[in-house]
Amino acid sequence: MSTETVSGPVRPAAATGTRSMGREALILLVFSAIVLSMPFWLPLLGGYEGLATKIMVWAIFAVGFDILLGFTGLLSFGHAAFFGGAAYVTGYVFRDHTSEIIVAFIASQLGVLVLAAAIGFLSLRRTGIYFSILTLAFAEMMFAAALAIFAPFTGGYDGLTMRTTPTLFGMPMQGLYVFYMGAIMLIFGFAVARMIKNSAFGLMLRSIKENPMRLQYTGVNVWAYKMAAFMISAHFAGVAGFLMVVYEPYVATKFLHWSTSGEVVIMSVIGGVGTLFGPIIGAGFLMYFENVVQAAIGEQWKLVLGLVFVLVVIFLPGGFVQLGAMIWRATGHKVRERRHNVPDMEPDTQRERNLG
Amino acid sequence: MKFTKRNASRRQVLKGGAAVAGALATPHFFVKNAWAQGECATLGNFPVEGPEVVFGFSVPKTGAYADEGADELRAQELAVEHINNGGGILNTLQPLSLTGQGVLGKKVTYVSGDDQTNPDATRQVARRMIERDGVIMFNGGSSSATAVAAQSLAQELGVVFMNGLTHANETTGKDRRRYGFRQFFNTHMTGLALGPVLAENYGTDRAAFHLTADYNWGHSMSGSIKDATEGEGWSTINRVSTPLGATDYSQFLTAFLNSDADVLVLNHYGNDMVNSVTQAVQFGVRDMQKNGRQVELVVPLYSRLMAQGAGDNIEGVFGTTNWNWSLDNPGAKAFVDSFTDKYGFPPSQAAHTCYVQVILYADACERAGTFYAPEVIRALEGHEYEGDGYNSASLYRAEDHQSFHDVFLVRGKSASERASEFDLLQIVSEVPRSTVEYPVDTFEGELGDYCPTA
Repeated sequence: MSTETVSGPVRPAAATGTRSMGREALILLVFSAIVLSMPFWLPLLGGYEGLATKIMVWAIFAVGFDILLGFTGLLSFGHAAFFGGAAYVTGYVFRDHTSEIIVAFIASQLGVLVLAAAIGFLSLRRTGIYFSILTLAFAEMMFAAALAIFAPFTGGYDGLTMRTTPTLFGMPMQGLYVFYMGAIMLIFGFAVARMIKNSAFGLMLRSIKENPMRLQYTGVNVWAYKMAAFMISAHFAGVAGFLMVVYEPYVATKFLHWSTSGEVVIMSVIGGVGTLFGPIIGAGFLMYFENVVQAAIGEQWKLVLGLVFVLVVIFLPGGFVQLGAMIWRATGHKVRERRHNVPDMEPDTQRERNLG
Repeated sequence: MKFTKRNASRRQVLKGGAAVAGALATPHFFVKNAWAQGECATLGNFPVEGPEVVFGFSVPKTGAYADEGADELRAQELAVEHINNGGGILNTLQPLSLTGQGVLGKKVTYVSGDDQTNPDATRQVARRMIERDGVIMFNGGSSSATAVAAQSLAQELGVVFMNGLTHANETTGKDRRRYGFRQFFNTHMTGLALGPVLAENYGTDRAAFHLTADYNWGHSMSGSIKDATEGEGWSTINRVSTPLGATDYSQFLTAFLNSDADVLVLNHYGNDMVNSVTQAVQFGVRDMQKNGRQVELVVPLYSRLMAQGAGDNIEGVFGTTNWNWSLDNPGAKAFVDSFTDKYGFPPSQAAHTCYVQVILYADACERAGTFYAPEVIRALEGHEYEGDGYNSASLYRAEDHQSFHDVFLVRGKSASERASEFDLLQIVSEVPRSTVEYPVDTFEGELGDYCPTA
């Protein structure tokens, strides 16, 4: 077994045997079932079709963000730049060129690629709080530019309006079509994130979170790994921004605002950072609260939401996922302890050396 | 590494193929009215089933225009009450098909939501009301940015949007939509009404400095005032944009003080206007001489709610308003009396426009004999009516869905002139509809189809 992994291609998930493969498949299957059936069960909770689509958008954003925050331990406060940037590119394509979403998708991802390379290159020179501030600064610069010098192109505070109905090979994409497209993207994105989590690459990211300096000393190019994680999560944000505009052919300046970055951070924190499920649950919760609960409690909804955050952060630092684990344990089940990075490294150190 | 080799059997292939085909077809089953018959393939929440019909009210409950939003919601509740039970302008509106027993035999209920004066939030709220609560139309809002966003969504989803307070030209100009109607006047009409009066009172050689709320309404307002005053011989020194919801205007006011301008135009609304006027007065703008003449303040769009907030600071300041509760005509009286009975104070212009819009929509359904949107829209287009609170008849122009009616030139009353705490605006003149009616080709725009864009 061990000789095989050392010499063979780097595929730890496969290396730990078919049982783990089966488990992965089961997780993905259950996840897909829950997501795809959302239009059936969400209305029972007071939701509706558009809300389901919006949850898809934010869930994709949050999963990507977890790769950066949860795996790599980098807190970006500027992911609105990628969400909003992709949204604007998509908007321009729809307004001025074509309603074909494939063209818009490719264009928006190319836009994110350039943007993320530039912002990542400059921001990742610093770590910790300085990294957060740099990303925030870049996103806020984009927001300010969208309102000032680029206002003739972005529509300023009014945003970008268009009369386009997005199409896929000529078929109009609206309502549940957009939902299912978003759902498939989320499932795909979730699968990719799980794969990253179980790969040597993901292990490197988690090691960076644990102790970047030690890795640096062993000759690992930490910066390159961080950059890769940053780019990947930026693309998730870009996909979400693209999907947002397909869902509603309108680009709000707010997409670039720091509050959009803040929202995804909040989703991750209240859901459970680093768990992939958590941020998705967080996204669902926040969207549900902002739309359904808001209507029920009237003007004071922002106050109540603030209170929920405070309570979660104080009593459930592990987010809703921790709550789930607590309930599971309280009902007499055995909880598998959250895997720490260090014990995990034991069987994999060999491989890393090969990688480095 | 070893993978077991598996050959798919024919049965498995068939099973898989069927599953894929089913999955691909799935969306068809759930897209509402995907195979419906009629003029339009899909259409909002038509037909209305059951004994009730739901209206949606999307108003700002938080943010710079929250006061307007609260008053709009009061008026909307009152409108629903009157449609169901009679009263209010149902006693004065001519022609009228409503009977005071609901619409088309159905009782009207409503849902509401917070648009946060934010276009993105507006669309979210509207989506919720349309998709979950099944509203047949929606109404409200106190910003042109949200109005434009709501109208586009209305056109996409095939649900009529009766605009609330929105004053930018774009709403019925560049961004007009078949599914959107506006009773409120616009900045172009304000310019037509205000320009001559400013020239008459302040002279024809003034230099103006604009502070402008930085979104479509502010720019529209500033542009219209610039055109109107320059037509009277004024010059425009500068037009500075201020962020929506700003609380500190000192840096902008300093720029005005350092300029050669002798008239300060505040293109602000709601709390923004209350803040900017108050700070301008604190800066001593109203007691100041520049270029050897008294510095003047102009607030192009006035409302009683703002006047309440600004207090004595607006004494003698000119502006325009769509409607005021002190008007003396049967329609205005009927509305003001029932509103005051219910809430204990008179309604604002924001309340009036929402009230009228809701009732006119309901009446159009009754006249059309259906909730089917294209027919309701046709019933509203070119509709001329009386008794909605004005001294003369009003018209929904078919080509751009702008309503034309008298507008009012007002100035702030001094403390000694006020008869009550709500008596803040003196109507200087009623500007007749003919003065503010402009050719339809003044603004370019396209209404779009009677069927939703889909």
